[in-house]
Amino acid sequence: MEALGLRDDLNDKSAAAAQNSLQLIAFSIGEQTYGVEITTVREIRAWNGATPLPNTREFVRGVINLRGTIVPIFDLRARFGDGQTTPTKNHVVVVMSVGDKWVGILVDAVSDILTVSRDDIHNVPEGNSIDTELLNGIVTHDSRMVGLIDLHAVVSGARMDN
Amino acid sequence: MSDLDDFKATYFDECSELLTELEEQFVAIEAGERDADRLNAVFRAIHSVKGGAGAFGFSALVGFAHAYETLLDYVRDGRIELTDEVVTLCIRANDIVTDHVAAARSGEALPADYGMDEKNRFDALARGDAAEDDTAGEPDEEFDIEFVPVMVNIGGNDDDFPEIDDTFEALPMAGESGHWEVHFTPHRALYARANDPLLLFRELAVLGEMTTKAVLEEIPPLSDFEPFAVYCSWEITLVSETLTEAMIREVFEFVEGDCDIAIAQLGVGTPPTAEVKAALVHPATPSAPAMAPINLLELADDEVAHLLEFDIEPAAPAKAKADVAPAAVAVVEAKADDAPGLSFADIADSIKPAPVAKVALAPKVVITPAATPETAPGEEGERRSLGVQSIRVDLDKVDRVVNMVGELVITQSMLTQQMDETLRTRYTELVRGLEVLAQTTRGLQDSVMAIRAQPVKSVFSRMPRLVRELGLKTAKKIKLETVGENTEIDKTVIEQLSDPLTHMIRNSADHGIESPEKRLAAGKPETGTIRLSAEQAGGNILIIVEDDGAGINRDRVLQVARDKGIVAPDITPTEEQIDQLIFAPGFSTAEAVSDLSGRGVGMDVVLSNIKKIGGSVHVRSWTGRGTRMTLRLPLTLAVLDVMLVKVGDSPYVVPLSSIVETIQCSRANFERVPSGGQVLQVRGEYVQVIDLAQRFAMTTTTEPENRFVVLCEAEGSAKVALIVDDIIGQQQVVIKSLEENFERVEGIAGGTILGDGNVALIVDVQSLKTSIIHKNAA
Repeated sequence: MEALGLRDDLNDKSAAAAQNSLQLIAFSIGEQTYGVEITTVREIRAWNGATPLPNTREFVRGVINLRGTIVPIFDLRARFGDGQTTPTKNHVVVVMSVGDKWVGILVDAVSDILTVSRDDIHNVPEGNSIDTELLNGIVTHDSRMVGLIDLHAVVSGARMDN
Repeated sequence: MSDLDDFKATYFDECSELLTELEEQFVAIEAGERDADRLNAVFRAIHSVKGGAGAFGFSALVGFAHAYETLLDYVRDGRIELTDEVVTLCIRANDIVTDHVAAARSGEALPADYGMDEKNRFDALARGDAAEDDTAGEPDEEFDIEFVPVMVNIGGNDDDFPEIDDTFEALPMAGESGHWEVHFTPHRALYARANDPLLLFRELAVLGEMTTKAVLEEIPPLSDFEPFAVYCSWEITLVSETLTEAMIREVFEFVEGDCDIAIAQLGVGTPPTAEVKAALVHPATPSAPAMAPINLLELADDEVAHLLEFDIEPAAPAKAKADVAPAAVAVVEAKADDAPGLSFADIADSIKPAPVAKVALAPKVVITPAATPETAPGEEGERRSLGVQSIRVDLDKVDRVVNMVGELVITQSMLTQQMDETLRTRYTELVRGLEVLAQTTRGLQDSVMAIRAQPVKSVFSRMPRLVRELGLKTAKKIKLETVGENTEIDKTVIEQLSDPLTHMIRNSADHGIESPEKRLAAGKPETGTIRLSAEQAGGNILIIVEDDGAGINRDRVLQVARDKGIVAPDITPTEEQIDQLIFAPGFSTAEAVSDLSGRGVGMDVVLSNIKKIGGSVHVRSWTGRGTRMTLRLPLTLAVLDVMLVKVGDSPYVVPLSSIVETIQCSRANFERVPSGGQVLQVRGEYVQVIDLAQRFAMTTTTEPENRFVVLCEAEGSAKVALIVDDIIGQQQVVIKSLEENFERVEGIAGGTILGDGNVALIVDVQSLKTSIIHKNAA
């Protein structure tokens, strides 16, 4: 119950304080590390190409076949506005569930599983709207900054006319 | 959901099946097949509806169904002649029953007097023809018989009757005139379905003075005794003036097929003497499994105790004299004003002591399960006795299996593709295994698809009454012929078929078939014929609606199309193209809008509905001779026939049903239009061109002359030419939704997974075409 409420209340310090630790899957885009809550991750697989989807924004890399289900792949780098990733076999797709949908996120590498304390989650500093829109919060781990990805925000706005 | 709700849901499911059957039966009855089987089927259906309704307390439905049933009963035994008028009344009654069922299902209340007129007419008919015979006409009133245990008297003393069941006191007095002899040999199945001969005997006892005699000749020595076999049959004599064979048959209605019944009328006035009975005893056929003892296992303790009270002398039967052997029966007698008391007369000496006890049990057993006076077990037996057993399965469950088998097929073909020559030579066993797997998967796929397949009958059967109504409304004489109604198609396709067929038949009746005068003047038979047929042609089902009417009035169609701006004034379409115009949206040639057709919606609905399920429509017309409309439908929706093409580097598939032809670009005839776009000239027609690579923002490296044109037909028979980089081939694919994990993408109807595990997108021809128009407009 609390684990469920957690995702919505990450910004809310009092709620975060109620549960002390949080496990994250950490992955990297370039030099930067990001994390998503481990319970949302369904599968991690190597990049093996995707069928491009027409009439979608550049951060939608296409769709893949995940055991008979068609799953869209989002290019996180492109989503952050840094241009499309040129994927190789070493790139990784993290398949996650967002609501009742499954989506894949293309990242450079998966680095670690982190356990952080909820008390250590900071608000994203106001400033760039992309940061506040796509991140739920920031946490420090081993003196590295880890951005907590807001999956709902990442996968929305995929269509051209949005 | 409570158990009761479950039962109700089952009941309503059954109702809809029964009502469909009613419809079918009346179609045949109307066509002149007025035999007893049809009437019995109708009667059974109504009876079952009524039975269930009673159990759930739908009193309005019960009331109406009962009156209807009474009428049918009289019709069945010939007291009311089955005139056209009665048939029409019955068909109307079916509607009312359907409405009642629908009301009961939705929990709404119909007006209290709903169907009263018809009910009164039933009553009037019934009363007029068989006024004095109310009780006999409604044997079903005995459903609520109270269960009273009946003692079995082994002593053979006729006077020593057990208690009288007061339910039977109000029996009609029987005269001496009508003597009926019924030989009843239950089969094993009768008991297996929890039917109880005693209930039948009780019903019979209501009909007249009854004498019952159990025939026990077949009972073998203990060593040969089969515990689940049936060895007992009965001789029943009924005496009643008003009795008819149909009335007796009706009692056995629910066990028909599970027993042998021989009914014979004896000479009038002959008393039911023992001699007569003995003469009529013909040995039960050895093949007829007789089986009372199974029920022994179900006897409650107290009943067993009851049995033990019987004055059975195990040794006695063994001593039985040879001279009584011919009879070798236990006579069970019931007087009209008595309970069906049973008396055990004698037992052949061949019978060993132990089985005797069992035999004695047989009549007793008959008494025990009487606590359920409902018709339900009978209905079950009824359905099953048709030979085909079926279960109800949630469609979702079937779909899940269909989907998984789809995956299996893809995985299997993926495995096969992975096999290269080196693997093949190195692992021959593996190759063989894969081949077997391929075969099995194909078989599995076929079987799973077959589960979803249903005969088109369920749609076809609704059409005869439509034609009848259309005939009445248009004052034309129309007859409907149906062919191939057992052709099977996917359930989803069938569901989508009803509307288009209705429109097409309406169209034929309204525009195709001429008035009787015109037909006669044209030298045609007065009655027009609409022929509805279904057949399988390869991977498609063809549904053809044909009429022998006037054919399409092409001049008029073209005139109207020009007036409405559907066809430009300077274009002269071919005859075939004019025929297809009737599918254009908003097209109607009818001068006056009737409630049948003429609003111009209809035929375009046909086209769009059929397109939606991946089919196509084709019309052909012969002036003065008729029109033929052909629907070509896919066998199943789960698998789509597609053309695999390449756009840029990505695979796309185009549904085969929408492809007209493919042309090499180097041979195609492109023309420029002022907007800078291209049109394709193909056989005198100019067609809009969509370059898919451009449209989907893909980079293509293919030389323009090496590309291909895929000419497609969009909704409303408008064509569109798609340019693709390569054509790879045809194949069957399983449609996957993009929306499941993503969202709708413009120009894409969905995705599919190819044999190599990659995703290919399905081109949505219709939305591509309309989106271009939007762009132009904006």
